[in-house]
Amino acid sequence: MNTSPTKIAIVGAGKGGIALLELLHQIPDVEIVGIADKDPTAPGLKRARDLNVQVAERVQDLIQNHGVNLIMDVTGDPSMGPLIHATKRPGSEVLSGAATRLLWNLVQHQSKLEAELFQADKLAGLGSFAAGIAHDINNPLQLILGLAENLTDEQDLDVVHEQARDITEAVKRTSALCRDLTSYARRDGAGEVVPVNLNMKMDEALKIARYAVTLQDITVVKHYAEAATVIGNPDELLHVFVNLITNAVQAITKRGTLTLQTTVGPDGGVSASVSDTGCGIPKESFSKIFEPLYTTKPPGKGTGLGLYNVMSVISKMEGHICVESDVGVGTTFRIEFPQVQPTMPCAPL
Amino acid sequence: MGEFKSGFFMSESACNGRVLVVDDEPDIRKVVRMTLQKAGYEVIEAENGEKAIEAINTGENRLLLDVLVCDIRMPKINGVEAIAYFQQEWPRVPIIVLTGFPDTDMATTFLRSGVVDYLVKPVEGEKLRTAVARAMEQRELARL
Repeated sequence: MNTSPTKIAIVGAGKGGIALLELLHQIPDVEIVGIADKDPTAPGLKRARDLNVQVAERVQDLIQNHGVNLIMDVTGDPSMGPLIHATKRPGSEVLSGAATRLLWNLVQHQSKLEAELFQADKLAGLGSFAAGIAHDINNPLQLILGLAENLTDEQDLDVVHEQARDITEAVKRTSALCRDLTSYARRDGAGEVVPVNLNMKMDEALKIARYAVTLQDITVVKHYAEAATVIGNPDELLHVFVNLITNAVQAITKRGTLTLQTTVGPDGGVSASVSDTGCGIPKESFSKIFEPLYTTKPPGKGTGLGLYNVMSVISKMEGHICVESDVGVGTTFRIEFPQVQPTMPCAPL
Repeated sequence: MGEFKSGFFMSESACNGRVLVVDDEPDIRKVVRMTLQKAGYEVIEAENGEKAIEAINTGENRLLLDVLVCDIRMPKINGVEAIAYFQQEWPRVPIIVLTGFPDTDMATTFLRSGVVDYLVKPVEGEKLRTAVARAMEQRELARL
């Protein structure tokens, strides 16, 4: 089998070109030599620069590059095929027309499946939070009911006013809770990539993941570094932290400490970690925890998709995730994000 | 913040019994207190299992506590642990669970262990007072 990497030239930087960039740059044995488009404002060219993929000014320059052994034409332009065939080096193959459309469909299908897995995991997670959510809604309802019953025969007008205000506050608290949950459930994970403050994301995730707590007495410790900001999809990062924090609190059976930490290294590298003092992961399971459908939780508590999705999001961001764990002592998941490289606005050279 | 009201200040006729309400939310303790005081019960409060255990071991509560109304999810010592302690050390004090968890498994386990009632919030005042009245009867029987 030929193990030398496939060296690809992408022709066309529209939707198809972007999809190929996103998919191919993650595959180890594939090298994207460059991308070209007749239109210098094509959106895929900007994405290519973000991914450090070379942008060729002319299609001909790119396909004649000596390294290229596969040319993928995703322009949909009928005149492009003859141009490529006329100018390409002998020995490089061309994928165009129906073949690239099929590939494009496969990519679309793959990303749709991933989005569905992501959403399925999120909704299953919400299911396992049901008891915690019910608890947090039933408490203010008890207050509202108790006060309303009292108001039916309360004579002291000051007390009536005070209790009416208490009812209003309790209703507001409950509706805020419902708002947080529905917006978390509805997020589609297809949002934009923007600067995300990890400290705020961890706090937001904690608000949701605490519904996984039933009877445990958990002390939360936060060590946040200032300016712990990464470039990423805020919804996906929220889900990553909800997953990690949920796992952490579920690992604690009675009492324990949950530690949330962010660091910014001297080189600007940002990391985030979630630690618990729970049951720990046996060494022999380390290789399996990121596999899809692997779970040690009882039915209804886990889908086996949580860490798989965490890994997918972090890999897509070109970050690393590592785990340290000792049975009976606890577990730490640590994510290292790539250094933030501020995208410079296009300025004249 | 345990609040130990002395029976000293209660008129004899008003006190139909002394109830210890354990819940980590002050708002809940407040409405349960209001609800039970309407039926003439004296209410003392504790904010978690640890304070509840302290409360029953304080002063005249050892002798005069009639009924425990206890939440489940609380910091420090939770309801499950506190109830186990009361059942062990004070088996004659009837227990009512008042919780936000609509968990049938947990309810079954508690009822089998001998708690008088498992009430899921929100509970109407009348239902809570009836449950406490029933527990009071059980307490009277235990005294015989």
